[in-house]
Amino acid sequence: MRKSLLIFAFFIAIISVVSGQGIGSPGTIKDDGRFAASTKQLNQFFRRFNGEESVDGNTRFYPGDSLFQNTNLRKGFLTILFDNQTSSISPDLKNQFIQNVLSPMYPQYLVFHRPGWYAEVDTEFFYKGKRERVTFIMKIQPEGLGYEWVIDQVIFEPFKNLFNKPVGSSKDFLHPLSHELGFMNLRRAFQDSNAPESFTASTYKPDYLAIFLYEMKQNNLRFETVSGVKFHFFQIGGWYFEVNQFNRPGFNTGWLISNLVRLGPGDKETLLKYIYDQN
Amino acid sequence: MKNKVILFLGLFLSASLAVMAQDNISPARKQAIDSLALEKVKDLSKYIAIIGSKETQFSEANRVMDRAEELFAPGAEMGVSSINTQEIAYYKVRRYFERLMALNYDRVNITWYDIQYISDLERQPDGRYVGVITIYQRFEGTSIETGMNYKDTTKKDITIYVEKKQTQIAGRTIEFWDVMLGDVRVTETSA
Repeated sequence: MRKSLLIFAFFIAIISVVSGQGIGSPGTIKDDGRFAASTKQLNQFFRRFNGEESVDGNTRFYPGDSLFQNTNLRKGFLTILFDNQTSSISPDLKNQFIQNVLSPMYPQYLVFHRPGWYAEVDTEFFYKGKRERVTFIMKIQPEGLGYEWVIDQVIFEPFKNLFNKPVGSSKDFLHPLSHELGFMNLRRAFQDSNAPESFTASTYKPDYLAIFLYEMKQNNLRFETVSGVKFHFFQIGGWYFEVNQFNRPGFNTGWLISNLVRLGPGDKETLLKYIYDQN
Repeated sequence: MKNKVILFLGLFLSASLAVMAQDNISPARKQAIDSLALEKVKDLSKYIAIIGSKETQFSEANRVMDRAEELFAPGAEMGVSSINTQEIAYYKVRRYFERLMALNYDRVNITWYDIQYISDLERQPDGRYVGVITIYQRFEGTSIETGMNYKDTTKKDITIYVEKKQTQIAGRTIEFWDVMLGDVRVTETSA
């Protein structure tokens, strides 16, 4: 514990005395170390996590460079990649995670192009004249000559109760001999019922994204703005963590780990279901 | 300035000749592209300071806005948010400059922190590469009449598009890497 604190203090001290190249000309303001310490881009989060850049962030390390993915460098970086001010991640859990990631036998890294990380993007839309919050779950996928971010799921409150399929005795149904009547009783589903979803298969799951896209095409939805972004990571075996942006005074700022969970069997699926099925 | 441009062009053409058939960006090439991109960002910073200065004549500010606009890919936007709200207000690049020029301060001082961060370059579906350069700007505006003094520090995340292009020199086809600026995210910081 004391060791991690020392490493942390050492890293902050090193970063604080680093002066960047600057964007040039005389008259630039000297950074007191806060911007250098900040994890300014998610790209820097990846590089720091993996130990693929110098402490000042000015030099990118590539395979073959002596410090590329260096364990001590990573240890220093990992200590400062946590939100140390507001998140309630216990020091013990943090240390277990760091030890796991830096395991000499099986060190683990984050890979930008590999599945297992998602963006959760909060936005504001106007829906039928009312301002509504819409959350998108997004992921990276290969496309054409490169990669692209794509929408994998949409979470939208007005859709939430749209398909509340009744259960038990309150659920309408088409009796099992409906076929003998040429399904003339479909009238019950499509004319008499307020819950036509009652007549769907037990495995039926509404595709909210399809409905969302349809509503967009009908001009019922108008994009207004993005109001927040965070990231979910499942790339480290046995662990889940969330990365948020912290814009505040001090040295512990930028993209930082705000939530850390050790995963037991089945936990990953439960968490993914929670992230994806917030409907 | 002119010498600098010629130097960069020379550097790029010679580097491109050596590995013309290759599409991947080597670390050395990446470094050269970073330098070129940083030059463009420096130009943008210089233009922003000129446009924002009250000492700049209207006609001169317009001319500089034209130059600044040329740095950007068509359709590029500025997305601005403040400390109090993460919501983004969107402005076309020209509109952003016009708003900057129209600010009601008698004295405007725009300076830059001596720090920047350059991301890796990622290839997008159309084959072009994209990266992000992060810089920090300090703005100070003073109104003599009201005695109001406004200060803020903003983080600017600037998209860069990197594309391999071709040109003919003395009958030979030469490939080179060109950099254009794209959308810019402007975030007010607590600094």
